[in-house]
Amino acid sequence: MARSRTLWAALFLTPPLALYTVIVVAPLLVSFYYSLTDWNGFNPNYNFVGLDNFLKIGRDPLFANAIRNTVIWMAAAILLPSLGGLAIALALNGRGVAGNLYKSLFYLPICLSLVVIGQVWIWMYHPDWGLINVTLEGLGAPDWTRAWLADPQTALLAVIVAWAWQQTGLAMVIFLAGLTSVPKELTEAAEIDGATYWQGLRHVVIPLLLPATVVVMALAIINSLKSFDIVYVMTQGGPFHSSDTLAMFMYTESFKKYYMGYGSAIAVVLFAISLVIIVFYFRQVQALDRLYD
Amino acid sequence: MTDVTLTQTGVAAKSRKEAGSILFYGVLTALVVLYSLPVIGVVLTSFKSTEEIARDGLWALPDALRFTNFTEAWVGGNVVVYARNSFLVTIPATFVSILLGILTGYVFSKLRFRGSEALFIFVVAGMFYPPQIVLIPLFRLFNAVHLYDTLWPMIIVHAAFGIPICTLVMRNFFAAVPNAIREAAIIDGANEWQVLVRVMLPVSLPAIAVLATLQFTWIWNDFLWPIIFTQSDEMRTIMVGLASLKGQYSVAYGVQGAMAIIASIPTLLVFIFFQRYFIRGLTLGSVKG
Repeated sequence: MARSRTLWAALFLTPPLALYTVIVVAPLLVSFYYSLTDWNGFNPNYNFVGLDNFLKIGRDPLFANAIRNTVIWMAAAILLPSLGGLAIALALNGRGVAGNLYKSLFYLPICLSLVVIGQVWIWMYHPDWGLINVTLEGLGAPDWTRAWLADPQTALLAVIVAWAWQQTGLAMVIFLAGLTSVPKELTEAAEIDGATYWQGLRHVVIPLLLPATVVVMALAIINSLKSFDIVYVMTQGGPFHSSDTLAMFMYTESFKKYYMGYGSAIAVVLFAISLVIIVFYFRQVQALDRLYD
Repeated sequence: MTDVTLTQTGVAAKSRKEAGSILFYGVLTALVVLYSLPVIGVVLTSFKSTEEIARDGLWALPDALRFTNFTEAWVGGNVVVYARNSFLVTIPATFVSILLGILTGYVFSKLRFRGSEALFIFVVAGMFYPPQIVLIPLFRLFNAVHLYDTLWPMIIVHAAFGIPICTLVMRNFFAAVPNAIREAAIIDGANEWQVLVRVMLPVSLPAIAVLATLQFTWIWNDFLWPIIFTQSDEMRTIMVGLASLKGQYSVAYGVQGAMAIIASIPTLLVFIFFQRYFIRGLTLGSVKG
């Protein structure tokens, strides 16, 4: 009986784990291997160069630049969509049917592709016709207008804002789900005890939203590491690498310049950063589980 | 006397409350309109001719409801081919990833063994994985097996990368199904496969619906894998087609807008009709984004 159970378990797990191993796990090891070579993507012959690629990473100003941009991206990702999503979720929670309509409109962008969103926001930033410059001119501030995506000073932030526009809806969904776990009796009790709305928020609601906040933060960080599609569509990392992210930089080095060995080394660094976040996240979730059980 | 004042304050409070409510929804409506402006801009532009855009810009109302941009995108932009490719990738990959997730989910919830919890976490951790980590080896792999520039790499990779989220959702769903139901079926002589197909699957349709909407949306919207694994126009998926349209129709904003809308229709339909499942999936597996 117990034996057939184990057999069935093995039988069921074999196809999914085989596919998962071949496509997700094994290639990671291959990336480690390539990172020690100078493979160029075409030539079947390549040399082992030891840790040269990693030493090169340490000296490459473009790598440092990509790291810096990714950190800026993470900081913005933690702040903008979370605060916006939290505010909207608090405003719309428990509003019934009317609230649902507004919720739908706020999370509509989640179902759009980042390619479409990039396209849409290219028009928002269009130097002549973009809504942002048109509005600035209408407000009598023509000095403030600029070619947002072509200006190295603003390109990165412009792409992040477009991305944050979509992520706000996502953060809102998660906070709304978190709010359903706040018992009505608690907020009502706070109200009866004479707490103002803000006091109730600070001392009752926000602490109960801690698990949702952990998820939103983890998502923001990991999605920052993955930020590629929208960068590719809007700026390709330019101008002058000003909006290069780690994921974009890895792609350019590997598939535009064909430095596949070097690209693999960047991938390994990307993996190391992800691993730290994964471990941190699972520990946090376990701690939260213990806290709320 | 007291009665009258009471009613009066009651009325005043009520009208104050109503005024507050009107103000609240007024502010909210303004905010929603502001938030939706980028989308509104695309819709407006898609109905305008190039001359109209040059004259009035992107944000003015179109002169008339013209669909020429849509027909141009459909025919000249090769959208039929791109959309077909996207469906050929999205539907099988969605199907296979859910099927595999049902298998793992069942084992990790009902057939647990020593170490299965660790294995489960190992699989689910894949949700956090930036795909750039395995880009080069997979590029090499599909070249070696001569599947480069076909739709197969996307189907296979999406099926594999869907396993973590499908495992998570199915496992959590099955875990909530009472063990007694499985045991009763086993005592009646059913084997595990029969339990899974005849007992578990019929009750797990909501979870499958959640995954179907999520996976469909993510795979349809994907851009990274097709630009790595395909090259020819005939093999482009719709998102790659949309991105490359910028070259061909670099100043034809109307056509670009029309194509962006066409490319979004399938996921918009999923969103409109299965919103409940989609949102539940986002909250369940929100770590994937």
